[in-house]
Amino acid sequence: MTLVVDHLYKRFGHVVALDDLAFEVAPGQVFGFLGANGAGKTTTMRITLGVLEPDAGQVTWRGIESHRLPRSTWGYLPEERGLYPRMRVMDQLVFFAGLHGVPASRARREATAWLRRFRADDLADRKAEQLSKGNQQKIQFIAAVLHDPQVLLMDEPFTGLDPVNVMLLREAFLELRDRGRTVVFSTHQMEVAEALCESVAIVDRGRMVVGGTLRDVRRASGRRLVRISVAADHRLPWLSAVAGARIIQAGVERSSVELDPGTEPEDVLAAAVNAGARVLHFEVADPTLEQIFIDHVGRTPDEDMRLAPAGVDGGVEPQAEDAA
Amino acid sequence: MSAPTPAPVDRPPVGRTAGSGGVGNAVLVARREYIERVRSRAFLFSTVLLAGLAIVVSLIPLGVRLVDRATVTRVVVVAPDPALAQRAISTMDTFLNTNGATADKGTPTFTFERLDDAGAARALVRDGAVAGAMLIDRGSDGGLDFTVLSVGGLSPDRAQLLQVGAFAVGILDWTASQPPSTSPFVIPGFEVSDPNIAVGGGDATGGGTIDAAEYASRRIVGIVFVVLSFLTLVFYGLWVASGVVAEKAGRVMELLISAATAPQLVVGKIVGIGLAGLTQVSLVLLPALAALFASGAIGDQVLGPDANAGTSLAGLSPGLLAAFLVYFVLGFALYAALYAGAGSLLSRAEDLQIVALPLSIPAIMGYFPAVLALSGGASGFIRVASYVPLWSPFVMLARLSIGRVEPWEVALSLGLLAVTVPLVTLLAIRVYRAGVLLYGQPPTIRTFLRAVRG
Repeated sequence: MTLVVDHLYKRFGHVVALDDLAFEVAPGQVFGFLGANGAGKTTTMRITLGVLEPDAGQVTWRGIESHRLPRSTWGYLPEERGLYPRMRVMDQLVFFAGLHGVPASRARREATAWLRRFRADDLADRKAEQLSKGNQQKIQFIAAVLHDPQVLLMDEPFTGLDPVNVMLLREAFLELRDRGRTVVFSTHQMEVAEALCESVAIVDRGRMVVGGTLRDVRRASGRRLVRISVAADHRLPWLSAVAGARIIQAGVERSSVELDPGTEPEDVLAAAVNAGARVLHFEVADPTLEQIFIDHVGRTPDEDMRLAPAGVDGGVEPQAEDAA
Repeated sequence: MSAPTPAPVDRPPVGRTAGSGGVGNAVLVARREYIERVRSRAFLFSTVLLAGLAIVVSLIPLGVRLVDRATVTRVVVVAPDPALAQRAISTMDTFLNTNGATADKGTPTFTFERLDDAGAARALVRDGAVAGAMLIDRGSDGGLDFTVLSVGGLSPDRAQLLQVGAFAVGILDWTASQPPSTSPFVIPGFEVSDPNIAVGGGDATGGGTIDAAEYASRRIVGIVFVVLSFLTLVFYGLWVASGVVAEKAGRVMELLISAATAPQLVVGKIVGIGLAGLTQVSLVLLPALAALFASGAIGDQVLGPDANAGTSLAGLSPGLLAAFLVYFVLGFALYAALYAGAGSLLSRAEDLQIVALPLSIPAIMGYFPAVLALSGGASGFIRVASYVPLWSPFVMLARLSIGRVEPWEVALSLGLLAVTVPLVTLLAIRVYRAGVLLYGQPPTIRTFLRAVRG
């Protein structure tokens, strides 16, 4: 009764896209598929849809190989969004739902309902080329769910959305999950995954790095986090007495202290009390997904979206080598 | 979701039971394509343009008659004795220049001049100084023989008229020169000959000129069919390719290919755009046929009834129309499949220009032998070209328009075409399946081969 990604291999020429990728998604969950660009997320989704063939391995849903299932099992939101530019929104929605076997009258009714839910009733008669990017994305999402698929595969659904639309889409995800649908989405934004997912899989260069329920993944890291707030000196000079503890985020209000495995939160508290600091707030927290990602992959998930460090001579060299 | 959709966890999928196949999806794709094309501005403009062009072409026979009417044909008459020549001239002048109820008496159809030397007349005809020379001889039975020399300056209609005139001269000669009872009337001999080929030779008799008129009509019908086929196949083939490229470039492809299979998408696209093409061809052909049909009647009304001019539609038989439809449909399927496969290998609309020319070369290579066939050519190359699937839609159509095609030739050409279409379509689907998800690859032979290998 699960979606099983069963040891997939896939090469494109010399590039290894998937290298023994394996994980499972329990039905009725929101599942986060995490990785940087080029990690193999899109390739995995395309194989699941039956559009691409793996070199080895398979994807099954409820025990059946994915490409043997009706295509309407899946609702797909591609990373590269696209609609027919000259076609009216409602016509497109009815067309795509029709390809999945939904009669036109029902498709029209449900599309109208979804447009209303997204507060976008006025878009129905517009042509796609007249829509903003955010609105096009809403339409694509509706196109992916109109036939009420059992599994939703969403490739970077939150990219390029403004905060309001991110909230709308999140709510839609949770609602679909509550109706028993399985939602798999890929992202490189760890906060989003943290807020939405029951389970995650972190992939890097086509390999599974770590996966499982969000709680297990956090626990398995062995790291813990202490958030502490003290009166007076917020630089926490007494912390140097605690082995295996370091500040990862210093703040006047609150600082985050990371603990290596073996170091207990109580040690930090005891050191603070011994030093005579007045503790205003003390909280034991799990590490962030971002931290776990860095631990496992060795870099941030959106590293390629940040400027590389400047060269030693301070000049910005457009052709500077990779400062790894 | 506020729509009345409860959330049964184990609800069966709403789609068709099979992930592949499903004619329904191909129909949906075809319908979408058809509506999009037929509603487009390019469709409207090109339809109006082509329809106008076809009407003009179909009115050419009428135009020829009009021009012909205004032309004065100069003919010199040579007879054994001046009296006979003078009598023949006045008779033909009376008969031919007042021919027809509404004929315009102001501009004569013919002017006749008497000449005594046959050799001089022949020279005049060769030089093009006169349209023809009528040589009159009296046979041993007392009847007259007419030989008309012409090097093409005489239209079939006019040659036909001269025969009528000769007949009248013969009757008057018979009644005037002797009592009607002494010897029976002999129908005057009449022949048209080209002095450049052989004096008095050739068999382009009166019957031959009617054939020529029908031949001209068949040629016009053939030209309309071949040009229309050629333009439509290349134009709509490009539309198929650009449609595929647009779906790729606009990234709708990802959604499409996850919702429908490659065969559904390819077949749907070919059928949808093909039907749009057929719609346009009908919109172009029907007014042209109506014009062709009407031009005969208009001509009779304006120019007076003319037995020789009623053959505008002679070249168009129901069989030829059926052949046109069959070759059009199969030829379109073949070219559209090629264009669909090629389009799927491109990523951007600009790349289409790179492949547009190489793709139209096979069509152009078929167009030339078709034109040759239309002008009466029947070489071995034309014959072979009319069996080759990529060319037969043009060449065999041209040969059928002109006539003289063995049934087995049609069967062979259609058979080869019918076998090639599904094979090429399967190949196109294969290329398409691999190609639609390839982005940024240059449109080269290597890309193509890799796509076919999958």
